[in-house]
Amino acid sequence: MSRVDRPLWMDAFSKSRSRRGVLKTAAGLGAAAYAGNMAWSPAVGAQDSAAADVTGDFDWKKADGVTIKALLNVHPYTDALKADLQTFTDLTGITVEYDEFPENNYFDKLTVDLQSGTGTYDVFMLGAYMVWQYGPPGWLEDMNPWIQNPSATNPDYAWDDIYENLRTADNWSLQVGQPLGSGGQYALPWGFEANTIIYNTEVFDKLGVEPAETMDGLVELAAKLTADAPGAGFADMYGIATRGSRQWATIHPGFMTQYSREGGKDFELDGDTLVPVMNSEVSVPFHEKWASMMKNSGPANWTNYFWYEVGTDLGAGKAAMIYDADILGYFQNQPGGSSQAGKLAWHPGPKGPDGSLLTNQWIWSLGMNAKSQNKLAAWLFLQWATGKDHLTMAAIDGNMVNPVRASVVENPQFQEKMNSNLNYLDTFNAIIQDTKILFTPQPAFFDATTLWAGALQEIYGGAPAKETLDALVEEIQASTE
Amino acid sequence: MASTTPSGNDRKFTFGGLVLDVFTVAYFAFALFPIIWIFLLSLKSQDQLFTTYFAFTPTLEPYKAVLGLSSATESVPFMRYFLNSLIASFGAVFISLLVGVPAAYAFARFKFRGSNDMLFTLLSFRFAPELMVIIPVYVIYQKLHLFDTHLGLIWVFQLITLPLIVWILRSYFQDLTPELEQSALLDGYTRTQAFIKVVLPLVKPGLAAAALLAFIFAWNSFIFPFILTGSNAQTVTVGALAFMGGAKPRYNLTAAASIISLIPPMVLALSIQRYLVRGLTFGAVKG
Repeated sequence: MSRVDRPLWMDAFSKSRSRRGVLKTAAGLGAAAYAGNMAWSPAVGAQDSAAADVTGDFDWKKADGVTIKALLNVHPYTDALKADLQTFTDLTGITVEYDEFPENNYFDKLTVDLQSGTGTYDVFMLGAYMVWQYGPPGWLEDMNPWIQNPSATNPDYAWDDIYENLRTADNWSLQVGQPLGSGGQYALPWGFEANTIIYNTEVFDKLGVEPAETMDGLVELAAKLTADAPGAGFADMYGIATRGSRQWATIHPGFMTQYSREGGKDFELDGDTLVPVMNSEVSVPFHEKWASMMKNSGPANWTNYFWYEVGTDLGAGKAAMIYDADILGYFQNQPGGSSQAGKLAWHPGPKGPDGSLLTNQWIWSLGMNAKSQNKLAAWLFLQWATGKDHLTMAAIDGNMVNPVRASVVENPQFQEKMNSNLNYLDTFNAIIQDTKILFTPQPAFFDATTLWAGALQEIYGGAPAKETLDALVEEIQASTE
Repeated sequence: MASTTPSGNDRKFTFGGLVLDVFTVAYFAFALFPIIWIFLLSLKSQDQLFTTYFAFTPTLEPYKAVLGLSSATESVPFMRYFLNSLIASFGAVFISLLVGVPAAYAFARFKFRGSNDMLFTLLSFRFAPELMVIIPVYVIYQKLHLFDTHLGLIWVFQLITLPLIVWILRSYFQDLTPELEQSALLDGYTRTQAFIKVVLPLVKPGLAAAALLAFIFAWNSFIFPFILTGSNAQTVTVGALAFMGGAKPRYNLTAAASIISLIPPMVLALSIQRYLVRGLTFGAVKG
């Protein structure tokens, strides 16, 4: 299996380095090579927290006059934040300067800054998966001491109001393969995506079909939609869109969600060694089924499909349904958001054989640079940005969905707003308890899932699933030894 | 028109010539298609972006949005990025000419210890990938407070523009016979006067070509401005991508931004075309 195109920042962590990854290492920064090692000590990244220096009563004005710098990704969450920044400055006297970059380049920028150790950006956005890479080299501040210090954290912060599986997602021991939920809190959940079916009600109603409740049902439904929708007045419409590009992001949305519901796993821990199990008895037929579904009922150029292609095909009325982030459908369903706005509906997706509704999630989180020179001001910003007041405003007045706080989801104004999105809230409530990160925490995550996406493409192209997945497992093992 | 003879007006039609012309036009269309496609994208409204190919109702809204004439892109100050690019690219070329022209002359005329090493070092700035030096440069820029400044960009662009100018102009200076300067010296000119009044006018086409190439390379640079700037000194190559993020991709705005970004290099190339053609062919026709 050949190497694939991916962002530069992934190379910084890769053991089987590309040219660019090698060059980064040649630049004299050993952290990348260190992060690529799967057998580091759990003590790595431990640090004496500056939180201990904060004493006395809590006061929002404790860092009055300080300026902090944020690195942000171009995103509706960011738009909501920027619209409310003056509130934070008025409250604390802290000025927030920010640089904003689109996601395609964002993590390159963040990785360079963290690697450099200059602490240019005090706070930044990151995905929960990035904790597995940025955490071990000691680049991320552990937020636990800050949360637990009443002198530093406002009494209304209500940490427990954030859904447990989201808090857990950013909480890790830094030990390869160990489950999430213990160790440092290396980021704070800010907004998240759960992967569900989003479908076009117009075509479903016209053809008299309902969302599928099983994987086999999904395959049949997608085929029926592909066959019947064009004849029913939906020209060029096909059954189902999912991501299919040779990137890690192909694996984590609908694919990983349904794979897990069917009982599939990515790795198993054998002592201290992670063993890839993508070639298991459960996995092989699932890959065949998924690839076949996309071949027969997906877009013609599925192997080029990223987030945007999936969303825009749904919004343009080309895809009858998608299996991807729930918020991807939300943005398409807003007035003016697409030609199909107002016609979309949500469904949890097929259950597993045992009724499982396990759902994989992507969490935009906020982190603090361990090298920040303004940690108190940065912490005040982080607790405000992930606090009830801002997140409630951002969800109701902005497009900060999905909210990470239960109190926001239960807010009547938010519920009223979301009622225009058919079955969005019902779907959310049906899956939220089972929505978690379904991957095994490890710094080789991006490499492994990118290779996995390559294997899926090969199966889609006609390669035998068993042999392809055996080769995948061997390659992943070789790259992590 | 199909042609088989070198003389312009006296051409005969031949099948081979026709095939050649058709092939040339086809290749021209093939090579230009990405630009044509970007241009078409830049004329599409958001709702036509994913539903049409060639048949659509053109609109100038994307250009208005990029230029800040509508409210669609309040958060992307593209014109500031455009100005930043102009400042950084012109500034970099100006500094490079200031330093590079005398350096190229010295490399061409004088043999001194280490000259080849210095030339090779300059050349290595061009073939060494920018990524190789970007992190150390990033650290240095943070310490010197050059991060996200025009001065910082102009300085780092010297890695791009200076080697080009020195290497290109050196060959031009080498092509000039030293007797010209010697004659000027005999006439009472100082070496500086001989350089400015005799040599420089003769390499004007080369200067134009080298400066234009350097400008284009600086203008198109992505990695340096991406890593070494934030929101203040960001350039068009980075800024144009800002339209790609968010809830939905605005390829039409990115396309419009790209088309607008083509203007300065094109205007510059057209305005010095007279020199450029001579400059680029100078070496090829010399005796």
